[in-house]
Amino acid sequence: MVKLFERKLTTKKEFEMIKITDEVKAAVAESGIKNGVVAVITKHTTTGIMINEALPCVEKDIEITMDRLVPKDYPYVHTHMLPTYGTCSGNAPGHLKSMLAGNHCMFPVIDGKMVTGGEQNIYFVEFDGLQIRRYMIMVMGE
Amino acid sequence: MVIDIHAHPVLLDGINKDPDTFEFRRKSFGVFKSGINPIDFELVLLDDAGIDKVVWLPEDYSKDMGKAIVSNDEMASIVAKCPERFIGFAGIDPRREDAKKELERAFDELKLQGLKLNLSRLHIYPDDPMLKPLYDVCAARKKPIMFHAGYSWEPNTPAKFSEPINFECVAEEYPEMNICLAHMGWPWWNETIMMLMKYPNVYADTSMVYMDSPRNYYSHLFSVNMNLNWLQNCFADKVMFGSNNPRFRHVRSLDGIKNLPLRDDVMEAVLGGNAVRFLGLEV
Repeated sequence: MVKLFERKLTTKKEFEMIKITDEVKAAVAESGIKNGVVAVITKHTTTGIMINEALPCVEKDIEITMDRLVPKDYPYVHTHMLPTYGTCSGNAPGHLKSMLAGNHCMFPVIDGKMVTGGEQNIYFVEFDGLQIRRYMIMVMGE
Repeated sequence: MVIDIHAHPVLLDGINKDPDTFEFRRKSFGVFKSGINPIDFELVLLDDAGIDKVVWLPEDYSKDMGKAIVSNDEMASIVAKCPERFIGFAGIDPRREDAKKELERAFDELKLQGLKLNLSRLHIYPDDPMLKPLYDVCAARKKPIMFHAGYSWEPNTPAKFSEPINFECVAEEYPEMNICLAHMGWPWWNETIMMLMKYPNVYADTSMVYMDSPRNYYSHLFSVNMNLNWLQNCFADKVMFGSNNPRFRHVRSLDGIKNLPLRDDVMEAVLGGNAVRFLGLEV
C-alpha cells in the first residue's frame, strides 16, 4: 500500500531550517501502514530535506558552512532573464545549496511508527526564501 | 520611505480566482511559470524587503485581447486590500472608443493615481494623435504617466516605439505632467539621461536588471557605463527605485541599489523621495 501526503508551509527567511519531524510522524500514523518505509521529498529545486540534530548551534553551523561553500556574490551562470519563465534568475546559490542538501530522506516504519536515531530530526530547509513551499510524505508498506 | 515604483499585479490573488483568467494573464504578460501570489504573502515580502509602498501597473490591450490584462476595477480592488501601502495606476487601451471616459472614471471614481502605457505593445509612437486625449486627462488632473521605455520583456513589443528620445514631444508639450521612462530606457540609457537633465518633468526608474545579478548590473550601469557622479550630481532627483516585480524580486533589486556607494541624500531620494514627488504625494 502507498499513501501520499502533501504539506504546505511558508518560509519567513532567505535561509530557514524548519523541523518537520512531528508532521512526518503524524502522516505515518494517519496512513495506517504498519510496516514499511516513509520518504520525505521536497517539491522544489532551491530547498532541501536534511537530517540533523536539532540544536541551534548545529543549525547555525549548517547555515555558515553553506554560505562559505556557496557564496551569495559570485559570477554564477544562472543570473539572467529566462525566456521560458519571463522572469530573472537570481537564485543560483539556492539551487547549489539544494544540490548539497539533497531533496529527500527515508526512514523505516515499524509497528505503525517511524523509527529514527535518538537525535535525528527531519528538516525542510529553505535556501531561497521567502516563499510558499510544498513537500511530500510518502508512506509505503503494508 | 522606500517606494517600489514599478511592479505588476498580474500574479496577485483576488483577481485570479479562475484558472483560465490566470493563464490568460501569464501568457499575455509573459510570466509563464509563476504561481499566484497571495496578497497577504506579498505584504510579508514587502516587510522583509523593507519596502513601504508599491506602485502597481496594470495593462490594457483589450482591442486585441478582448479584455484588459488587469482592468482598472481589478486594480482598484487590489488597492482596497491595503490602501496604505498599495498605489494603483490605470491601464487604458487608447484604441478603445471610451478610452478618455474610462481614464476619467479610473481617476475620479476608482481613485487610481497615474497611467501606465506600453507603446511598444500598442505599436504606436508617443506622438500618436489617439494618445492626446489621455495626456490631456492626466495633465488636467496632475496624474503622472509611467511609459514603458526601451527593451520590453512582454511578447510582441518592438522597441522602436519606446525609444526614450521619442517621448521628448510629450515632455515638451506637457511640462506640468510628470512622466517616467521606465527601465531607464535600456539600452538607450544615454538618451534617458539627456531627457532627465533637460526636462524637469521627466523621471526614470531602475527596473532594468536584464543581465547579471542586481548588484553587478547596477554597479556596472551607474559606475562603468556612466560615472556614479553623473547620477549623484546631475540627476539624483530623477531616478526612482523600481523592481519590475514579478520579473525580479523586490528584495533582490533593492539590495542591488542599496549596494551602490551613493551619498545618503542621493540614496534616500532614489529609494523613495523622488517617487513621492513624481506621484504628487508631498504633504
